[in-house]
Amino acid sequence: MTAPLKAPFKARAAAALADPVLKIAIDRTTGNAERKRAAALAAFPEYESARARGQAIKDHVTAHLGHYLELFERNATARGAQVHWASDDAQARAIVTRICLAADAKLVTRAKSMLGEEIGLPHALADAGIERVETDLAEHIIQLAGEAPSHIIWPAMHRTREQVAQLFKAGHQPPPAAEDPATMVQSARRVLREKFLSADIGISGANFLVADTGATCTVTNEGNAELTTTPPRIHIVTAGIEKLVPSTAHAFALLRLLVRSATGGEMTQYTTFHAGPKRPGDADGPEEMHIVLVDNGRTTMLGDEFREMLRCIRCGACMNHCVVYRQIGGHAYGGTYPGPMGSVLTPVLDGLAASRDLPHACTMNGRCAEVCPVGIPLPTLLRAWRRRSWREGLEPAPTRAGIGLWAQLARRPRLYRLATRIGLPVLRLFGRGGWISRLPLAGGWTDHRDLPRPAARSFMDEYRARQRPRQ
Amino acid sequence: MTARDRILSAIRATLGPGKPPAQIAAEAAALLDAPDAARPRLAAPTLPEAFALKAAALGTSIDRIASLAEAPQAMARYLDAHGLPPRFAMQPAPELAALDWQGLAPHPGSAPDEPAALGLALHGIAETGSLVIHSGPDNPILLSFLPLHHVVLLREATLLPYLEDYAARLSAQAIPRNAILITGPSGTTDIEGSYVRGAHGPGFLHVILIADAG
Repeated sequence: MTAPLKAPFKARAAAALADPVLKIAIDRTTGNAERKRAAALAAFPEYESARARGQAIKDHVTAHLGHYLELFERNATARGAQVHWASDDAQARAIVTRICLAADAKLVTRAKSMLGEEIGLPHALADAGIERVETDLAEHIIQLAGEAPSHIIWPAMHRTREQVAQLFKAGHQPPPAAEDPATMVQSARRVLREKFLSADIGISGANFLVADTGATCTVTNEGNAELTTTPPRIHIVTAGIEKLVPSTAHAFALLRLLVRSATGGEMTQYTTFHAGPKRPGDADGPEEMHIVLVDNGRTTMLGDEFREMLRCIRCGACMNHCVVYRQIGGHAYGGTYPGPMGSVLTPVLDGLAASRDLPHACTMNGRCAEVCPVGIPLPTLLRAWRRRSWREGLEPAPTRAGIGLWAQLARRPRLYRLATRIGLPVLRLFGRGGWISRLPLAGGWTDHRDLPRPAARSFMDEYRARQRPRQ
Repeated sequence: MTARDRILSAIRATLGPGKPPAQIAAEAAALLDAPDAARPRLAAPTLPEAFALKAAALGTSIDRIASLAEAPQAMARYLDAHGLPPRFAMQPAPELAALDWQGLAPHPGSAPDEPAALGLALHGIAETGSLVIHSGPDNPILLSFLPLHHVVLLREATLLPYLEDYAARLSAQAIPRNAILITGPSGTTDIEGSYVRGAHGPGFLHVILIADAG
C-alpha cells in the first residue's frame, strides 16, 4: 500500500512502514543481494585495488569531461550514429519524441534505463500517443501495475510472486498456467516476443559510452536489450553525460565492480557494444541509431560539492545495505532514484525545497560509503545537502527555532548548565522503569523508540562532585 | 546557443581550457597499468580449463571435439540428448556451410520460436567464461537471442585470458555494429529473487570446444 507519489515523504514512509508484505519483499531481495555481493568480493581479493582504479577512472573522465564528450561524439558519428544533446529532461523528451513521430512510430520497445525514467520518457511517449512496451521483466511487471521502479536494479522488488501472478493473469493473453516464477517468466517471454519483432523503434540506455570507439554499452542478464535494439528500424540511446569511459578496457575495469556490487555475479550474461546502425551487408540491425546525451543537472554537479556523485555507476549496493531503504523501500523516496544515491541525486533533479526530507532520512551509519564500488562519500554529500537546506532557510520553523535555541545555550556554558539542571528533573518525571516512552512535543521520536531515563545529575555536576574531595 | 554549446561551455567554465589530448590519453592509459593487481586470477592454469570452469559455473554445458569436422556429430548428440528435431538455425558462415551435416537440416535465419541454433564464436574469454560474437554479413545477432537452445562452436586457439585482451582488439576501426560477450544462458531474478533461465534469450547455452587450431 504505497502512498501516492505526491504525498510528503513522511506520509509515504509511514505508509511503507505499515505494510508488512512490503517489508518481506524488500528483505528477500536486499538480503539476497547483500549475501551474494559479500561472496563475490570474498572470491575477488583484488577488489580494493580494483575499486581504487575504478574511482580513478571515473575521476579522470570527470576531470576531462569536455574532451571525452567531443571524442565520443566524433567517433559515434564516424560509426554512423546521430548524436543529440539535451540540457535538461524536457529537451531530452522532446528529442526522443520528435524522432519517434518523424518515423511515424506506433510501437516502441524499451530496455530498462534509469536515465529514461529520470527524464520522464514513459509519460512523454504516452502523451505522444505511442505504445510503449517495457521489456525488462521487472519493468514489464511495474508497467502492468502502473508503477514506477522501486529499485534501480530490481525495479519490481516490492511485488511478491502472488501479486505478479495477479498482474499477469489480468495482463497476459492467454494468462499463465501457474503461479510459479518459471511459468510466469515463460508467459512474459511469449507475450513480449511478439512486441520485440513488431516494434518500430527500440530505446535503450547505456551503462557506458566508450569514447575511443563511439560505442554505447548495455549490460543485461535477460537478453532483452539486444532483442530491443536489433529488429526495429531505429535504435535510440538515452544516456547521462557521466557515463563516458576512455576505452573498452576502462569499461571492463568498471564492469568488474558493477556486476559484483549489483548482483554478486562476476559478469552480466549479455554485455553488448552498439557502434552505429546496420553496416552494408549486415544480416540484421537498425537502419538508424540516435544517441541523446543528457546533462540534466550534471554540469552543475561538476562545479559544486556534489561532483563525486558523478562517479556513480548505478549498481544499487548503497540501497541494498541502507537501514532506511530496507525499512521503507524505494517508492517512499518519491524520486527516480531511491536509497542513499537517490537522496543525493533527487535534490539535484527535483530541487532541494521539494526533497529536503531525503538527506535527513539517513542515520549516517556509513554503510553506503563502505560498499560503494567507486568510493562516493555518500554520508558527506547528504550532510552537504543538510547544510545547504539550513543555509537556504528550508528547514521548518520549529526545527530552526529548536536548533537556534540550542545553539544559543551551547555557546553559553553557564546558561547551558543551568538549563540542564532545570531540565533533568522534568525529564525524569516522564521516566517509567528506566525508560521514557512518551514525551510532549517529542512524539516524532518517542512514537517509535524509547529514551533512557536520564541520570539525576548532569555529567558536569557529577564530575564536579567527584573532583571535590581531591582538592 | 545550442544545448551542445551550453553543455560544453558549462564544462569549460568549471574545468578550464583542458590539457592536450595526447596528455589525457597518456593519463588514461596509465590508469590501466599493472592490470593483474585489479583483476581476478584465472580459475585454472590453462585457458581451456579456466574457460570451461567459469562457463560451467554459470550453467553453460560443455562438449569437446578434436576438429571442426566433428561439429555435425556433436550437434546431433546435443539435439538427441534434448529431444530436439534435426532442423535448426545455423549461422551463415562459409566454414559451417562447408561441413557434411548428414542427417541434420540446418537452415539460415532464426524463426521467432526457433528451438535451436548453432553459431561460431570469435573468441572465448577465460577470465569470465564469456563467448564473443560480432555482428556481420555472416552473423545475424538475432540468431544468438531468439532460439531456446544456443549452441556455440569455440576454437581453443581463439581463447583470450582476460577481458582486456579482447578490448585491445576492439579499436574504432575494428568494432562491428554489435560486439557481444555472452556469459551463460539468459536469466532473471526479477520475481522475488528466484533465478529463472530463459527470460528473453536462450534458456540453454551449450559450448562445443574445438581442440584443433585449424
